[in-house]
Amino acid sequence: MTPPRLLRVLLIALWIGLFVWGTEAWAETVYVQAKTAQLRAGKTSLDAVVGNVKFGDALEVVGRDGSWIEVKTTSGAKGWIFANKTSSSKPSGTNDTLAKLGQSMRGSDASATTASAGARGLDKASEGYANRAGVSARDRDAVDRMTAYQIPDQEVEEFLREGGLGEYAK
Amino acid sequence: MRSNHGLAATLIVLSLTVAGCAEVQRAGEDIARQSGNPRLAGAIHGVGNVVGSLFPIGYEEESSIGQAMALQVVARYGGVVDQPELVRYVNLVGRAVANTSDRPDIPYRVAILEHESINAFAAPAGYIFVTRGLLKQIRNEAELAAVLGHEIAHVSQKHILDVIQRSKRLAGVSEAGLSYATSNPAAFKSVIDGAVKKLLDEGLDQDKETEADTVGEVFATRVGYDAEAYVGLLTRLRDLKGDDRALFKTHPNFSARIEAVQKTIQGKHLAATGVVLQERFARMTKRI
Repeated sequence: MTPPRLLRVLLIALWIGLFVWGTEAWAETVYVQAKTAQLRAGKTSLDAVVGNVKFGDALEVVGRDGSWIEVKTTSGAKGWIFANKTSSSKPSGTNDTLAKLGQSMRGSDASATTASAGARGLDKASEGYANRAGVSARDRDAVDRMTAYQIPDQEVEEFLREGGLGEYAK
Repeated sequence: MRSNHGLAATLIVLSLTVAGCAEVQRAGEDIARQSGNPRLAGAIHGVGNVVGSLFPIGYEEESSIGQAMALQVVARYGGVVDQPELVRYVNLVGRAVANTSDRPDIPYRVAILEHESINAFAAPAGYIFVTRGLLKQIRNEAELAAVLGHEIAHVSQKHILDVIQRSKRLAGVSEAGLSYATSNPAAFKSVIDGAVKKLLDEGLDQDKETEADTVGEVFATRVGYDAEAYVGLLTRLRDLKGDDRALFKTHPNFSARIEAVQKTIQGKHLAATGVVLQERFARMTKRI
């Protein structure tokens, strides 16, 4: 390759690189700031759901209109998301990485403290506490039922829809 | 040879301090033991404990603490209201607010305490309580959402966990993690009792309460509830109770709280949407 030709190739490569870098650098990113969220075909809650995203997912902003943002997921899917379900900074949520490292260094055995995470029943630590503190069977049962209490996400969504809340605002 | 092993172990423990690596810590302990130096092994273990105790409390540990505290809250406040429809309603409002909070990735549950006092509490890991007395003072769903937003903010900002981590009492527990809960239940009980006393009797620091008011207001308005609703409730409670600090030792006085919330509304341009859902609230709480 002659020097002028080499220079031309390098310049083209540099131009392409700058273009790609510029596109990346200027692309605005938002993060899902909700337990779950739906991507819709349009900017109203009446538009069809075209995808689902979850807490912490990164979304590239394509456009904005009022309370809605048009976004593209990392897999390339496009849709509109209710702006109040996004954040401009990456949400931290419950990041247990450091906690688990500390737990490991303290040599604690977490599995010994929790009988079965998520299952019905007080964990071993709380049961031991209840015994020592003399908590009544009635109150243990109340906390047991409280721990196990769950409402499916769809019912929460329906509750929002009925109340005209969130993306269902009238 | 023994001194070489000792030097190696010392170097390893130094790298542990810098890198914070549990595997390195254990390797150091092993080498020190193999070199016939149990005291050095113990020292390395101790450093690991101290360094480890500086790390945040994980969700699994938080869950144990929250559940144990919940037991004490329920016991001291006369049990919980057993009205399934009402309980479901307050949980739906709580979930609606929590789902777009800054920490939506843990379960939240709301219980109504069988007590006529006007109060609400949050224990770690999403255990939220409102008293029957407070529910009677609330006039619409937006006010309830703001109250629950305040409590969810205590959980999302890990206020009680901060108190526990700072307390000297936990130092004994941190050294061995929550396995102390089973191997030394007296120490665990001491930590929980201390945290409950702070929550129910002494109150959190005033700045934490103010933060919960302002962050909770943001959480409730994200769902679309009227931003002015919380101001309305706080104003009525001030009219009812006054600003007497003796009565409200666990929170800043109402005037200060109202001012902080109003500043948040203005500073963050939170909308007075007019969505208060008074009728739905009245229908769902008519038996309270």
